[in-house]
Amino acid sequence: MSETRLAVADVSVEFTGLRALDHVSLSVDTGEVVGLIGPNGSGKTTLVNAITGQVKLATGTITAAGVTLSGLSPRAIALQGVSRSFQIVRLFNAMTVLENVEAAALAKGAGRAAARERAEALLDEFGLASKADELGDSLSYGDKRRVEIARALAAEPKFLLLDEPAAGMNDAETETLLHTLAALPEKRGLGLLIIDHDMGLIMRLCHRLHVLASGRTIAQGTAAHVRAHPAVIEAYLGKGTAHA
Amino acid sequence: MKHSYITAALLIGLIAALVVGTELLGIRLYDRIVTNLLISLVLVIGLQTFMGNSGLLSFAHIGFMGFGAYTSAVLTIPAQMKGMALPDLYGFMTAVEVSPLLAMLVAGIVAAIVAAIVAYPLMRLSDAAAVITSFALLVVLYTVMNNWSAFTNGPRTLFGLPKTTTLPMAAIVAALVVVVALVFKESRTGKLLRASREDEVAAAALGADIPKLRWKAFVLAAFIAGVGGALWGHFITSFAPKSFYLKETFLVITMLVIGGANTVTGAVAGAILVTFAYEGLRSLEGTLNATAAGAGQVVGLTEIVLAIAMIAFMILRPGGLFPTREIGHILARMRRKKETSA
Repeated sequence: MSETRLAVADVSVEFTGLRALDHVSLSVDTGEVVGLIGPNGSGKTTLVNAITGQVKLATGTITAAGVTLSGLSPRAIALQGVSRSFQIVRLFNAMTVLENVEAAALAKGAGRAAARERAEALLDEFGLASKADELGDSLSYGDKRRVEIARALAAEPKFLLLDEPAAGMNDAETETLLHTLAALPEKRGLGLLIIDHDMGLIMRLCHRLHVLASGRTIAQGTAAHVRAHPAVIEAYLGKGTAHA
Repeated sequence: MKHSYITAALLIGLIAALVVGTELLGIRLYDRIVTNLLISLVLVIGLQTFMGNSGLLSFAHIGFMGFGAYTSAVLTIPAQMKGMALPDLYGFMTAVEVSPLLAMLVAGIVAAIVAAIVAYPLMRLSDAAAVITSFALLVVLYTVMNNWSAFTNGPRTLFGLPKTTTLPMAAIVAALVVVVALVFKESRTGKLLRASREDEVAAAALGADIPKLRWKAFVLAAFIAGVGGALWGHFITSFAPKSFYLKETFLVITMLVIGGANTVTGAVAGAILVTFAYEGLRSLEGTLNATAAGAGQVVGLTEIVLAIAMIAFMILRPGGLFPTREIGHILARMRRKKETSA
């Protein structure tokens, strides 16, 4: 078992008879960016929820750096170094931006001064320093997304799972985000799994792609490989739009 | 947190101003009202440490106040009076007589221990389930007080507590509690608990142990309630279990909700505002009854007006007067804005 790998092996998830994930296997290594794509309802968010313990597995196991995550609570999984953002932003609205980010460091056991320092450094890095004292729900949508990513990073994760980080951002914001995210794996020594519908972002950012449709893996590999894959063209991109 | 110091200084300054003002006026009625206010302040801030940070409404708070009051009573009623005041008291307790200050501390500890035991399994619950169980807990605490004759003299009034709570004494305890609440709010537990208040799923995904965080806050709140109960007991000197039930519960919750449960500033503002409103309405009620010619007695005006005020606040300003930021934080931001615009 690799010490630097997030490994999802043969995972299925069922919701009252409906199979949301069907024997899916996927891995993310430290230093790597893996894109998780697929049409709406294909099980992308469910997979992230399965990794972070928000839904129960029907089959399979999940390990992070050799530690078994499947069966642990979301809290225990977070303490194993797996952080995430949410498809629908979940900020601590009545707390300041600084407190939002601090909380993540505190939850992982950082001292108060260290948490403050880490949070301030992250806000600087994400261009949010001037918003530090604003409340979570007073921010623009793009800023909320950035705060959520900064918050996830404040936990100093080994693996970071981002669920549609660019949703609601304009082109310029997305471009800045792309550069920030691209630098993360090497700079922070983490593995990044990213869901997004912005194919431009995904294709440029990810080393590997993993494509789901109706809860099944239909293709995986490099961007070029996936883009040319007939099953992907049919199920995900739709006929005739492969080169759009 | 620099602005927390400003908040503490302002709130304690306000308490001091109330005390000095009252002492200067030298009217006994005002002295009584302000002492009562400061005791309410202790109770409301105690409730804020749990309710404000966790976001869970607790009805049980006043039950812990009762346990504190009875603990202090048992420890301080002079030995020669105990035979009369507490005829069923356990033999070994009859000779116990400690100083009221020590008794107040023990009262807080006893309330905290009771809370630590009974609340542990409840802290996993959220939303309506948490509110309803806290209400059930209040009923349990009340019933225990009503029937544990050895400790409380049953439903009968217990008398004979030494009157040791003075205005300055209440003010000192209130000031200490303000500091404790502000420190707790900014502590690791306080911050993570507030995060869980805002979003349980996201807080758990960060690794926050939510039931344990809530439990710590609940125990702290019960400790403060116990101290507040002792303080009140040595002010009023005689009371019965019914003093620690629905009426008092409604009053502290009204104070906290009107002031703003999320902030210590709100707890202080709510306690002051509601106390003045309460006393004003009561005296109005008295005046009306004295002058009304043949229209019959005016009864319950105070309670109804306060209840309506609470409803109005829930509709118009659901977060209360100070919904998110402490007074020190508000002032610091105003000054910064002025500086940047100048």
